[in-house]
Amino acid sequence: MELQIRKLAKTYSNGVQALKDITLTIPQGMYGLLGPNGAGKSTLMRTIATLQDPDAGSIHLGDIDVLAERERVRETLGYLPQEFGVYPKSSAVELLNHFAVLKGITARGERREVVDVLLRQVNLYDVRKKNLGGYSGGMRQRFGVAVALLGDPKLIIVDEPTAGLDPAERVRFLNLLSEIGQIAVVILSTHIVEDVSELCSRMAIIDRGEILLEAEPLAAVAELRGRIWRRVVEKAELPEIERAHAVISTKLLAGRTVVRAYSDAQPSNGFEPAEPDLEDVYFSTLTGLAGLATPTSQATVPGVAR
Amino acid sequence: MKLWETFRFEVVYQLHRVSTWFYFVFLLGVAFLMARDVFVAEAQEGNYFLNAPFAVAQVTLVACILSLLALAALAGGAAARDVETRMHPLLYTSPISKAAYLGGRFLAAFSLGALIMTAVPAGLIAAALLPGSHADLIGPFRPAAYLSAYFLLALPNAFVAIALMFSAAVLARRGVASYLGGAFVFFSSVVSWQVVAVLLGHWGVAKLTDPLGLTLINELSKVWTPSQKNTLIVGPQMSILSNRLVWVGVGLGVLGLTYLRFRFAHVAADSRRLGRKRAGARLPAADAAKAEPTSGGSNAASARVTPLAVPQVQRTFGFATRMRQTLAVARESFRVIMKGWGGFALAGLGGLVVLIGPFLFQDEGFPQIPTTGQFVGFLEQPGEHGMWLVVPLLIVYYAGELVWRERDARLGEIAGAAPVPVWVSFAGKFAGLALMLVAVQAVVMAAAIVVQARMGYYKFEVGLYARILFGIRLTDYLLFALLAFVVHVVVDQKYVGHLIAVIAYLLVAFGPQLGIEPGLLVYGSDPGWTYSDMRGLEPFIGPLLLFKFYWAAWALLLAIAAKLLWPRGTERGVGPRLRVAGRRLTRRTVATAVVAVALVMTFGGVIIYNTKVLYARHAAPSGDEWRAEYERRYERYAGVPRPRTTAINLNVEIYPRRRVVEIRGTYDLVNKTEAAIKSVHLTTALGVETRTVGFDRAATLLMVDENLGHRIYTLETPLQPGDSLKLNFEIRFDSRGFPISDIDASVVPNGTFFGAEWLPGVGYQRGREVRGDGERKRFGLPPRPEVLAQDDPVALMDVAWLEPIKFEAIVGTDAGQTAIAPGALRRTWVQDGRRYFHYATDAPILNNIAFFSAAYAVREARWNDVEIQIFYHPGHALNVERMIRSVQASLDYLTRRLGPYPYHQIRLVEYPGDRRSLYAHPINIRYMEGFSFINPEAEPRGIDLPFATVAHEVSHQWWGNQLVPAPVVGAPMLNETLAWYSALEIVEASYGREHRNQLVGAMRASYLSPRARAGSPLLRATDRFQWYRKGVIALCALREYVGAERMDTALRHLFERHGSRTPPLPTTLDLYKELQAVTPDELRYLLADLFEANTYWELSTKDVEAERLATGEWRVTLEVHARKVVVDEEGVETEVPMDDLVEVGVFGAAGDEPTSKPLYLRMHRIRSGEQRITLTVMGEPARAGIDPRNLLIDVEAGDNLAKVTSRPAP
Repeated sequence: MELQIRKLAKTYSNGVQALKDITLTIPQGMYGLLGPNGAGKSTLMRTIATLQDPDAGSIHLGDIDVLAERERVRETLGYLPQEFGVYPKSSAVELLNHFAVLKGITARGERREVVDVLLRQVNLYDVRKKNLGGYSGGMRQRFGVAVALLGDPKLIIVDEPTAGLDPAERVRFLNLLSEIGQIAVVILSTHIVEDVSELCSRMAIIDRGEILLEAEPLAAVAELRGRIWRRVVEKAELPEIERAHAVISTKLLAGRTVVRAYSDAQPSNGFEPAEPDLEDVYFSTLTGLAGLATPTSQATVPGVAR
Repeated sequence: MKLWETFRFEVVYQLHRVSTWFYFVFLLGVAFLMARDVFVAEAQEGNYFLNAPFAVAQVTLVACILSLLALAALAGGAAARDVETRMHPLLYTSPISKAAYLGGRFLAAFSLGALIMTAVPAGLIAAALLPGSHADLIGPFRPAAYLSAYFLLALPNAFVAIALMFSAAVLARRGVASYLGGAFVFFSSVVSWQVVAVLLGHWGVAKLTDPLGLTLINELSKVWTPSQKNTLIVGPQMSILSNRLVWVGVGLGVLGLTYLRFRFAHVAADSRRLGRKRAGARLPAADAAKAEPTSGGSNAASARVTPLAVPQVQRTFGFATRMRQTLAVARESFRVIMKGWGGFALAGLGGLVVLIGPFLFQDEGFPQIPTTGQFVGFLEQPGEHGMWLVVPLLIVYYAGELVWRERDARLGEIAGAAPVPVWVSFAGKFAGLALMLVAVQAVVMAAAIVVQARMGYYKFEVGLYARILFGIRLTDYLLFALLAFVVHVVVDQKYVGHLIAVIAYLLVAFGPQLGIEPGLLVYGSDPGWTYSDMRGLEPFIGPLLLFKFYWAAWALLLAIAAKLLWPRGTERGVGPRLRVAGRRLTRRTVATAVVAVALVMTFGGVIIYNTKVLYARHAAPSGDEWRAEYERRYERYAGVPRPRTTAINLNVEIYPRRRVVEIRGTYDLVNKTEAAIKSVHLTTALGVETRTVGFDRAATLLMVDENLGHRIYTLETPLQPGDSLKLNFEIRFDSRGFPISDIDASVVPNGTFFGAEWLPGVGYQRGREVRGDGERKRFGLPPRPEVLAQDDPVALMDVAWLEPIKFEAIVGTDAGQTAIAPGALRRTWVQDGRRYFHYATDAPILNNIAFFSAAYAVREARWNDVEIQIFYHPGHALNVERMIRSVQASLDYLTRRLGPYPYHQIRLVEYPGDRRSLYAHPINIRYMEGFSFINPEAEPRGIDLPFATVAHEVSHQWWGNQLVPAPVVGAPMLNETLAWYSALEIVEASYGREHRNQLVGAMRASYLSPRARAGSPLLRATDRFQWYRKGVIALCALREYVGAERMDTALRHLFERHGSRTPPLPTTLDLYKELQAVTPDELRYLLADLFEANTYWELSTKDVEAERLATGEWRVTLEVHARKVVVDEEGVETEVPMDDLVEVGVFGAAGDEPTSKPLYLRMHRIRSGEQRITLTVMGEPARAGIDPRNLLIDVEAGDNLAKVTSRPAP
């Protein structure tokens, strides 16, 4: 089962072009969608999740035409949106039970089991009888995960899932996802590069409605080997360095500014070679310095370099 | 399965909320109280049980109105909670179909609605089982009544309401949009009832367009007799069932529409509004997406670090800043309201005023001029037409929206952390709402002016509009807005807050009708006011201002409470909020609170002093308890022989500006009985100070009862038959202080009017007794017939209350005013800055006197040796000329036909009031200001109503003032009905036949409004409708059959025999005898039908065919149907065989009126049932029928004529 997206386009009524001709093939497993805020990630996620209509294009999940057969998609869909709320006066077990019925788990005994298992999996079993209005942000997120996982979905979409989680919760969440990734198409849309680098076997970088890069993370990183250089500078020197070199990121390390630049050869003095990581791939793609298409095993349309 | 689960979950969720049960208890309480207490007066007057099926239905429907608030909460929650809690992405991506989702939610809302509506019959049953003080008004328990009320009235209402509310909330994706559905249901119902039915008369249409059924129940209340109300179940009637069908269909249709339009789609948050800002503002090219917030844990990295250059700004936090911030909040709040539904409602209100306005200025089809004074009366009475409830509802709604604005947008925490003191938020939002209210009043004023201009009236009197709309009404709105704010601040739940605020408003606005007196404890209440051109806002303005200041002081305290409890921060429990309130109690706040409390005490103290001390000193007791006591103690003296008053001589001093009247007077009393009179009983008026009572001979005061106003004097030497006695007295009327409601407006700076009610009366006064069987039972009094039977011997002899007297008075008033009293004006002079008038009668008048004083303009004329004067308020001169002409024509006709006018002057005097009522005292006829607003020029039928009405009043100088009927049943037939008959004759003499027919036609139109056919025969006529309309029409019908001359003869004989006021006094039987004497034998049956029985004819023409004959004539064949029924007082109809003379007419094509150019108009004998009539006419017939002039009493007047269908010539 794989998700095929062809030439998806969407322009909002206020003129913003959220998606420009997106074409992707997403196989089973963990797929990361990386991009800055406003890139169109959520729009794409919502479109795949049947919540929005594109202006043009098609989406197929296996043999299901997503845009035309929404009900069928929803039967096997798990969607964890970026922002959502819950009924404050319901308890977790009640509401999860309700969703279970809506997702088709009608037999009472089976349902109770599934609900219990899920609540344990997301670590909400102890507080399952408390009202959701009293949950913290992380707990609410975990509840959302439980809802998304109901009914063994074959397509799971998680939109910015770790944005509000503390480090421990984030690790737990990512672990949970990685297990599920074995048997479903999981799209992880995020702007946190570490999430993708830790979990995903394939990724795409999206900015302003366009796919800039479609690649396997490790391969993309390997491409950059020997082209990333770093240097520690004073803040005052920064503007000049930026003028002279292709700076792809500026970070602070214990109060000092560390500059990373892209160059095929050694740039001026002071720069030392650096081991590239996925973040470098991300920033260099965004700034247009590297827009590489890595053909995957199946034929796909290469991503467009800017 | 999924539908069931959606349904089950929603029902359980809402059942767990306290608010759901609150609504149930609320409806239970409302139904209970209404059934037990509020509608008691109606049941007593209407003579049906408190738990009669009709009463059950009535209370159910009123409860349905209030239930709209609760149902809105249920429907809004079920429909939009997903979107409002943002859970919809989870739900919409679940595999659930639209039908299951919407269906489950709607069914849940409806089931919950049905559940809480069961509180209504439950409350009703509880009221029947625990009737409290009205146990005697409870009748047999009829379960069918409750079942029908619930299943046929309440449940369909709930269905329609919930369907509309649910759809509104689903499509708008906001829970509060359900209120829109509720408002639609409510206003369609009220407008159907008050405007389409009551005002415009289209009852049939209104009964279908009314979703709640108010029009239906109102019609039943008019048409059903008391016994029908007690026995018939409301519900299975055709009109009700069709209405239910229509509206359930509408509900289903709307639901279907919602189903089609709804989509499981992402809700783009206000992309329209933001769009205007964002369009074109694309993200700048290369600097986009810098400084991203990464998750906690990674270092604060950024792809590029651009150094921040934040401009340095001066920040101030002083008072000026606070004021600016308040203004900013106010502007923002005002914009929010205007751009939302507030703007719509404003435009709608203005549009409504412009649309409905013209219809307010017609009374029974007779147009009036739209004076500003009347207009503000319509606009400012909240009970009137219910339309003006829009503004209070808006206030409640927006107070909630403004208080919750930040929290709804999830900005609550950010806003709460901003350095803005709480009072700035509160004051700013309140100011925004206040601005909206100012805008509302401005729109209403503009709309009113537009209406006036369109009707051709240009005396706008903007100052008056300003005083009332902005001075009084705006203040009321602001006070209520503050209360609404505080309710929403204190109550933590928006829907419940709305409900409580609306209840508070209803209690104040409709309090008096519900039995809740205004007072110091009913927020916003005041003693009431009316405006009149003559007296302005006196005497109400003083107490009104006092009350408003008092409430303003309370409002200040409420504002302080709002500031202390203003929601800020995330804690919602009672404890934390009280702690925060304690922290906000600054010294300034405490000082303000102290000042406010001091003001409350001051104004409250002044009010209490005025109402309970000053006023109580001289007030008449309120209620009826004193009447019952009076009867219990003194009725035994009813038969004691009493001397008769033969002359009254008074010295009256009116002080209009001080509102004081002092009267010194003398009665001449004569013993006209055959025994000696030993004691004289005197009734002194309550509410005035009667002092220094004395006789011209020795008498001792045996007993005086100041509280009930009864004194007994014993004469030392008994008064022999034929002997006379003088009684002297002094009276002082003072209006110091004021009552809590119903301020007496008799004596005012301009427009004083009072009758003889302050003067003492001789003997026990029956007029003071408690009336009405139900009321009398309540006080334990024996039942007394409302009216006496026609053969009651005492009544036939009784002239006591209207004995003819000689009258003389010297009346003094302010220099700029004219005082008017009965009699000829002998002399007028000025003394000590006051003006005096000496009146004296030339011939005796009935003891029915009245006094007037105002700055009048006067128009004088003559007829023979009678001086005619019209005293009118300057500016109300529109109809004065007609009135003069009418008086002249009337005096002419009545003197010739009946007898001479006994006096040398006749006057019409205007006095304050907005209805068009008139009353004929001897010599002086008074008319209310409302009468001067009739606009005969705009009358579509050309009827000169002022002329006709004045003719009626002048006729009273004969019928009623010279011929005085015995006070028995049917007496008003002899003055009112005969006065209208004479007036019609006068109209015909001056304006012609056509005009008279138009007027009679207008009277007949009263039949078209719903009315019960049950009633007594005219000879024993008991209600206004019979005296003023049906009796007149019966006499007119008789006139057409018998002839005007014969009728004239009958009336002249009646007057000659009984016009001298000597006993035995005449009754309707005497009138009947005279009518019989002039009626030919073959028409005697008609006389009996019209007067001895309550007869209704049912005549209709089914079909008319015409055939042209060879001779050029036309043969006309009519198929008619006739039926005659007699309806008794219970409403039981009995058919009687018909063999009557009925006119048959054939009319040509010219004109529409049946009375114009008849080709044929003759009497035919018509039997009961179907029959065919064949006749020949010259000329082509267009319409034909029986009783084309609608002479006989037929409720369905429209089916008497039918269009001719031609048969082709053979």
